[in-house]
Amino acid sequence: MMGKKRERLEVIKDILEAIMKNREIKPTRLLYASNLSPQMFKGYVHELMSKEFIKLNIDNKDKKTFSLTDKGQEFLQEYRVIENFIDNFGL
Amino acid sequence: MSFYELIAQNKELFRIFYSLIIGLICFIIVLKTHRLFKLSDHQGIRYFRNAFFFYGLAFASRYFLLFISSPFLKIAFEFFLIMGGFSLIYSLLWKRLDGKKINISSLLNFRILIFYLFAIIIAYLDFIWQIYYFMFFSQIIVFIVASIISYDNFNKNKNKNNFLKFYFISMILSLMAWILNFIACYFFNWRLRWVGGVYILNVIVFVLFLYGVIKVIKKS
Repeated sequence: MMGKKRERLEVIKDILEAIMKNREIKPTRLLYASNLSPQMFKGYVHELMSKEFIKLNIDNKDKKTFSLTDKGQEFLQEYRVIENFIDNFGL
Repeated sequence: MSFYELIAQNKELFRIFYSLIIGLICFIIVLKTHRLFKLSDHQGIRYFRNAFFFYGLAFASRYFLLFISSPFLKIAFEFFLIMGGFSLIYSLLWKRLDGKKINISSLLNFRILIFYLFAIIIAYLDFIWQIYYFMFFSQIIVFIVASIISYDNFNKNKNKNNFLKFYFISMILSLMAWILNFIACYFFNWRLRWVGGVYILNVIVFVLFLYGVIKVIKKS
C-alpha cells in the first residue's frame, strides 16, 4: 500500500534529520536518505541552502558534504511546534 | 453607582482601554506566529499572522479615531477590520485554492488584491452612506464560512483533536460578536448596554485566540 504523501515541511524535517544524524553527509547519501526523486531533491536542497538551513562543504580533495547550520538546528527544534500549530488551527 | 453608570461616565476611557487591549493581543499573536512563519514558510501560518496584523492595524486606527475625527481613519479602520476577516478565512482556505504554490508576497498577490478591492469598496460604501451594514454582512458571511470550515476540520480529524473543537467555538463566538454588532447598531442605535456586550464579547474572542496560540506553542 502506498504511504501518505509527505508534506513539504515533513520532507524538510527528514532531510535535516538525516544530516543531523550523520553530522556531515555526502549529496548522494542524502539523496537516498531523503527518498525523493533527484529533481525534487535538487529543489529542496536549493531551498534549504538559500534559507541557510544547510551548507555545502567542499574539502581540498573536492569532496562535497552537507552539514546543518544553527538555523537548521533551530528549525528541527521548532518543528513540533510548527506542526502542532498547523494541525491545531487547521491551517 | 451601578456598573452601567460607571461605564457611561467613563465611556471614552473604556474605549481607549478596549482598543489598546485588543491591539496588544494582536501584536503578541503577530510576534509569536511571525517566528513560526519565518522558519517554516507555511502559507497558512502566514495568512493567520496577517489576519491579526490587519486586526491590530484596525484597532490602532480605532484608537486614533478617539482623538482625531478623520474620514481617512474611518475608512482605514473598516478596511483593516474587513481585511482581518478575509485573511483569517484565507488561512483556512489557501490549501484548497492555492495548492502548494508559495506566493512571494502575502500582502501583494492576485487573490489578496481582490480582497483589498472588496474591502475598499465595502469600507467606502459604508462611509458614503454613513452606515456599517456592508461591513457587518461581509463579516457575518466570512465567519459563517469560517465556522463551517473549522467544523469540517474537526469532523475530518480522526483523533478528534479537542483544540480543533476549541477553534470552531472561537469562530462561532466571532460570528456571534458580528451578529451582536449588527443588532446593536440596527435595532438599538448603539445603546450603551448593547455596545458594552459587544465589547465584552470581542475581548473574549481575541483573548481566546491569544490563549489558543500560546497554548499550542507551549504544549509543543
